[in-house]
Amino acid sequence: MSQINRREFIRVLAAGGAASAFPAVARAAAKARVVVIGGGYGGATAAKYLKLLDPAIEVTLIEPNKSYTSCPLSNEVIAGYRDIKTLQVGYDGLRKHGVEVVQDLVTGIDRAARTVTTQGGRKLGYDAMVMSPGVEFHFEGIEGYSEALVDRFPHAWKAGPQTLLLKKQLEAMPDGGKFVIVVPPGPFRCPPGPYERASLVASYLKHHGKTKSKIIIMDANDSHSKKGLFQQAWKKLYGFEKEGLGTHGMIEWVKGAEGGKVVKLDAKTKTVSSDFVDIKADVLNIIPPHKAGKIAVASDLAKADGWCKVVPMTMASAEDEAIYTIGDSCVAGEMALYGNPDANFDMPKSAHIAMTQAKVAAAAIVAKVNGLPAPQPYYANTCYSIVDEGYGFSVAHLYRVENGTFKYIKEGSGISPVKMPDNSEVPALYRKLEAEYADGWLRNVMADAFG
Amino acid sequence: MRKQFVVVGVLAGLSCLGVAEAADNMEGLARTCFNCHGTGGVSAGTSMPSIAGLPEAYLKSVMLEWKRGERASANMTRLVKGYTDDEIAGLAAYFAKQPWTPVPQPAAKAVLAKGRKATERCESCHGATGGQPDEDDVPKLNGQWAKYLELELAKYRDDSFQMTHKRMIRNARKMGAGDVEAAAGFYGAQGK
Repeated sequence: MSQINRREFIRVLAAGGAASAFPAVARAAAKARVVVIGGGYGGATAAKYLKLLDPAIEVTLIEPNKSYTSCPLSNEVIAGYRDIKTLQVGYDGLRKHGVEVVQDLVTGIDRAARTVTTQGGRKLGYDAMVMSPGVEFHFEGIEGYSEALVDRFPHAWKAGPQTLLLKKQLEAMPDGGKFVIVVPPGPFRCPPGPYERASLVASYLKHHGKTKSKIIIMDANDSHSKKGLFQQAWKKLYGFEKEGLGTHGMIEWVKGAEGGKVVKLDAKTKTVSSDFVDIKADVLNIIPPHKAGKIAVASDLAKADGWCKVVPMTMASAEDEAIYTIGDSCVAGEMALYGNPDANFDMPKSAHIAMTQAKVAAAAIVAKVNGLPAPQPYYANTCYSIVDEGYGFSVAHLYRVENGTFKYIKEGSGISPVKMPDNSEVPALYRKLEAEYADGWLRNVMADAFG
Repeated sequence: MRKQFVVVGVLAGLSCLGVAEAADNMEGLARTCFNCHGTGGVSAGTSMPSIAGLPEAYLKSVMLEWKRGERASANMTRLVKGYTDDEIAGLAAYFAKQPWTPVPQPAAKAVLAKGRKATERCESCHGATGGQPDEDDVPKLNGQWAKYLELELAKYRDDSFQMTHKRMIRNARKMGAGDVEAAAGFYGAQGK
């Protein structure tokens, strides 16, 4: 934008009034109406930053739950290192910023009329919408498995009661028991999450004298996030030998190509089967395959293999310029497989990325409402994994938009060091620092999104 | 207490939104830092430093040292390598313009007394309470999170961790093990 337009932008933001980009539908009192669907990290951040950037915009956030429980670091709850209360937050912080928070479920969207209807019978018009519904589980991928079984075989992949249920089952597991984690085909939310969970379950078992127990990861995929760091930590802490079944050590990882992909469940005997092997579990943690949230699919926005495709400059849906699809339900970039160093990686489904996407969407909406072009977007990710008390590591991602497409910036991305540049072992201080930073990160993302 | 300070940070950030947005969307880039360092750069997490209101020269030199691989960090060394030098300068200028927002954390009298003594050698550069640095490349420490300061001192005291400031390394290694916690607690408790 030109200098004059930029100055105009300041004046407009300061005065709180401008020629709206949506003059026909804007109400007299509000400059524009934005409806945010979903009160997770993405939706909460979008609502808050819309209000911070232009208080004259009316923002309504619709979320069925009264409070939010953070998925990030919820594996620490399962292992007994964290109280679940430290992951919970309400919506009063958003209300203080002037966001109207409605506890309800969106049941329908009329994209032509730009209205949403809710289970509670409300009907709201919008000039712009932020769609951040998270993921919807699909239970049909495994024979014998269904939604009704999640109370026996918790997924704990949406934090809350499921997290506590899995914790309880772990605590009740006798020494020598088998804790089986079933990992769905990617992409799934929190790419390193299943492996962090395996690590922290091992940590719990080790520190409670149940070292004859096994954690078996039945993985539909052939590689995963931070694999080198995880396997290094497992060797160091939990006697991990090598990939595959029947090894010593507490953790066994079975990749998809070698029989890791679970296709069948016998609920009665708690046995999962792949094409190669049957495994009888004591605790069975099935993470179901997932796709974009139900409302995104129902409103015909999830056309990229079940995910929402976006316009990189703004996070607007590729299907509807009035709807901004952010967070776990969208795919931002080309979906790439782990283990390919040259890939132009898509963005991982993380809280952190959802928040930077939310900030980009909020700034783009505010610019549009004020009749200005979208500002240059910036996307960054940080994601910590904890493998034991005082032992953590991370991955960072940086993205830019070049020629209208997402560009993964390799130089500004990457995992914590597996070795030092001179090939020596990474000093323990690095791992300790990152374990500490994980908690600081959590407090800040929660405050930045909900506070 | 924490909440109150975070709100202050938010308002401080907001007052600058328009201006920064207009320049080159440095505000947009800075917003990606808020995730870890708090809204507006005022941290709500004890292991993460507040960066709003730190001196510009300090912020810039630390980021450039990370980028050039001269200074170790568990995490930041990776991200900054993806930023241009201009973006690093812009971020340093942006955060330096925000008000320094100390979050004084209560500490026991014994810790404060021990900390005051332990920080005597720090005074000539950081000032008596850590809030009066003598140069623009020296960070403010008053009301910074004590946990973060403790972790920083651990870096300076560890042979395996590559830090750049020779005098800091020397002085940090002269401290007794118990002094580290006390010094961090002392600075964390200071409002001014």
